[in-house]
Amino acid sequence: MKEDLTTLRKTVFETLQKITDSKQLDDYWLSVFGKNGLFTKISKNIKTVPQENRAEMGILLNKTKKEIDAGFESKKKTIIQSQHTDWFDVTIPGTRPTLGHLHPQTYALRTLVDIFTYLGYQVADGPEIESDWYNFGSLNFPDNHPARDTQQSLHIETPNASKTDKTILRTQTSAMQVRVMEKMPPPFRVIVPGKTYRYDAVDASHGFEFWQLEGFAVDKNITLTDLFGTIDYVLKQLMGPETKLRFACTNFPFVEPGVDTYMECTVCHGKGCAFCKQSGWSEIMPAGMIHPNVLKAAKIDSLKWQGFAFCIGLSRAVTLRYGMDDLRLLTTLDTRILNQF
Amino acid sequence: MLAPLSWLKEFVPITMTTRDLAWRLTELGIGVEAIRSVNGEEVLELEITPNRPDLLSIVGIAREIAAIQNITLATTPIPSIKASQKLSIIVHNDYSLFPRYTGIILDTITIKPSPEWLSKRLTLMNLRPINNIVDITNYVMYEYGIPLHAFDYDEIKGHELWVSKAEGGEAFTTVDNLSYKLPKNAIIIRDTERIIDLCGIKGGLNSGIKPATKTVYLQVTADDPLLIRKASQKLALRSDASAIFERGIDKGNLLTTLWRAANLMMELGGGSVASELIDLKKTEYKPRSLVLGLDRLERVIGVKIPEKTILTILKNLNLSPTLSGKTVTVTVPTFREDLKIEEDIMEEVARVYGYNNFPKTLPSSSPPETIIPHHRDFTVENKLKNILEGIGYSEVYTYSLTDKESLEKIGSDPHTAIRLTNPISREYEYLRTNLLSHLLEGLKLNEPITDDCNLFEYGKTYHAPSENPVEQYEIAIVRADGNYRTLKGCVETLLLRLTGADSIVFEPQSKLNTYPYNPEIFAVIKIGKEIVGKIGKISPDTVSRFALKTAPVAAELDIQTIQHFFTVPQYHPVPNVPSTIEDLSFTGTSHVAIGQVIDTIKNTDPKVWSVQLLDSYSNSHTFRVTYQDPQKTLESKEVKEIREKIIHGVNETFHLILKS
Repeated sequence: MKEDLTTLRKTVFETLQKITDSKQLDDYWLSVFGKNGLFTKISKNIKTVPQENRAEMGILLNKTKKEIDAGFESKKKTIIQSQHTDWFDVTIPGTRPTLGHLHPQTYALRTLVDIFTYLGYQVADGPEIESDWYNFGSLNFPDNHPARDTQQSLHIETPNASKTDKTILRTQTSAMQVRVMEKMPPPFRVIVPGKTYRYDAVDASHGFEFWQLEGFAVDKNITLTDLFGTIDYVLKQLMGPETKLRFACTNFPFVEPGVDTYMECTVCHGKGCAFCKQSGWSEIMPAGMIHPNVLKAAKIDSLKWQGFAFCIGLSRAVTLRYGMDDLRLLTTLDTRILNQF
Repeated sequence: MLAPLSWLKEFVPITMTTRDLAWRLTELGIGVEAIRSVNGEEVLELEITPNRPDLLSIVGIAREIAAIQNITLATTPIPSIKASQKLSIIVHNDYSLFPRYTGIILDTITIKPSPEWLSKRLTLMNLRPINNIVDITNYVMYEYGIPLHAFDYDEIKGHELWVSKAEGGEAFTTVDNLSYKLPKNAIIIRDTERIIDLCGIKGGLNSGIKPATKTVYLQVTADDPLLIRKASQKLALRSDASAIFERGIDKGNLLTTLWRAANLMMELGGGSVASELIDLKKTEYKPRSLVLGLDRLERVIGVKIPEKTILTILKNLNLSPTLSGKTVTVTVPTFREDLKIEEDIMEEVARVYGYNNFPKTLPSSSPPETIIPHHRDFTVENKLKNILEGIGYSEVYTYSLTDKESLEKIGSDPHTAIRLTNPISREYEYLRTNLLSHLLEGLKLNEPITDDCNLFEYGKTYHAPSENPVEQYEIAIVRADGNYRTLKGCVETLLLRLTGADSIVFEPQSKLNTYPYNPEIFAVIKIGKEIVGKIGKISPDTVSRFALKTAPVAAELDIQTIQHFFTVPQYHPVPNVPSTIEDLSFTGTSHVAIGQVIDTIKNTDPKVWSVQLLDSYSNSHTFRVTYQDPQKTLESKEVKEIREKIIHGVNETFHLILKS
């Protein structure tokens, strides 16, 4: 038995020298220490060793096992070490996939649609080429009223003018209020994002073609405080919880009481800049309780139903959200700007 | 409207800082545009809403300041004047133009410069002092918000006046020596010989106050708002007076204004009243009553304001409230014509109470469930945009308004486009008929920036006839690199992901007018038999019109049609028996439509599961064919049979031979 162990030890060390990979090493370990392995077989013979020599043999068995194990262990280390490359630069730039870029307005609109969907609103869509009735008349703008001066319209050339009443580009998405309300009984919670057009001079914060997001809610118990709460919730969701808001009274023909919402200018953080006309505040969300005459135009009983309406200057909200200092950046074709988002 | 603080303080003490005052006024509905400093004095620059003529006056603004400071404005009553019969004037009023007309003659007046306090105030109002009489008309207008006009009595021929409408085209020279052709229906005053006043806008040079004037005819009228507005718009001539008349004048206070001005004129110019008081009207102008229900107030504003607070607010606004049970009756003075309904009184309470003192709540009822009319579904739009973002395209938003050149450059006939009659400039005269033009301009702009420009826009196009306009959503995609296969792959992916359709067809259409595409590299995109869009390379002449270096590829898709095909993908069980995959290489003639070869292979047998073009080089094409029977493993004998059919079919139709 003693010789068997010596021979085994020699064979193992010779074999280990020839082994080059982990798989071979694992297989060979099994052939030595496995159920029918060479060492296992020898160790089973201990029963045949006379009682007086057994202790000595036991010690030898253990010693040989330890030596062979150490041989395997050192071989394993050598193999692992041999697999390492010399050096790898983990700071090398990653290969990035070529992704495109959605427009900041798409992102802002999606956020707003999500916020309003959460509040139970549905989205409506309607024509940009609109009639005077839906754009003004149904919204309690009397003919030739000075209120119309604030929203001068662009007119469509209609050679057969008698055949149509859609003669202007809508100046406000509010034009959809009566379009939606006259087709279905209340209650309503509706938003209308879309393009609007005005005969207006262009500067950093005004354009002739821009986006609005109209919203209105009509029910039996909708209140002015609900309007304040809704505006506060929506703008903080859109612009961040630190957003500073304040409300003021104003006059729009289609609301009474009328509300205007001012948000601390995100360009200058209240210090005053060209974008906010040095006031530190930016007018962002005119609103109010829907005027009884508008509900009447939609054939809704204004003593039973009441509600609020608001309008987010979507283009302006986008510029404020992304820290852009000019509305005209929203229609840029320059990929150096587009690809920042 | 300008409001010097020192003038306001004559009517109301101001205890707040100017900055606080500016915000409180804004909160109240009087937008403070700026706090100016003029000659060391603070002047508020205010934006007055169209419903409030009364705020175009110092007294009106002072009243609001009083209300927010919880005090009532104390106004001293204006003494009336004593009539005389020394001189006279005959007025032929037209009550449809002037529902009320008042006037008085003052004689032995001395025209001289205004005293310093008066000229100083007018200077603060951005007005150049002229003489005591003219200055007083302006001063009193700013003070009470009611315009006045002073004539030289001796210049009124025949001492007889006719109020009438202009025929249109009459020549008229205003008091500041500018000549106008009068628009039809402008309100004018004639004497026996000529036009002496363009009412509500500007007086005439012929009858104005001159240094030598001795006798003044002072007139205060209530002009029809609509006619003043139209005339001032047509003339592009706005004055402080016309701004007041347009909003609707306080018809109840013409006489007090006349008295105030007459008293001031006699004080500063000497002289005395020389005629009877003229006051022509068909009706009395008296305060009206309105009722505010306190329960309804609470139901609308959503908060209970103590009765006492409500009454104080209304009292401070000079609305003389009286409480009876749960209703408040207010007496609306004639200067608040804007207060017409109960909701208007609610606003008065709410705004003085302070919008920023209200709690914030959310609607308590559950949201409506019925799908609304005009409902817009974003599913397709969002999916399209997400895929395009994922595969490397940048989104743009461009103006819907465009110019004629931009339409013509892309081969779109401006007659099929909708035109504006009053564009802000020629650049924005038409509504776009396509999305492509702006995208090609985008490629041009980005040429110096990147070689790798891929853009898309999702938006509306607009189509004539303008009597029945069509607005439709489209998406257009362009690639600067001109790679048709890459773009086609994108379009296939988009359509496949949206519709799951296995019948997306790209049909060559060289017979059609393919402009602005190159007719040789152009296809109509169909799902089944329905056209959903087009794709192709931009034609060389279009490329040169846009001054592009190389020809891009583009695709345009019609969203409405695609939307009909949108489906939610349905689960198909995966075959649990192996398929056989093999590559077949064919060679033969040139000009072989690979799409059709693939279709032919696919249609050979239902067990041909998929066909893929692996490689195409000169006239040699390799296809990877997957054979699959979902029920059982195909034997090589069966595969061989199908393969032979494929080889035969491809050879017969396309004269391609299998490479061994």
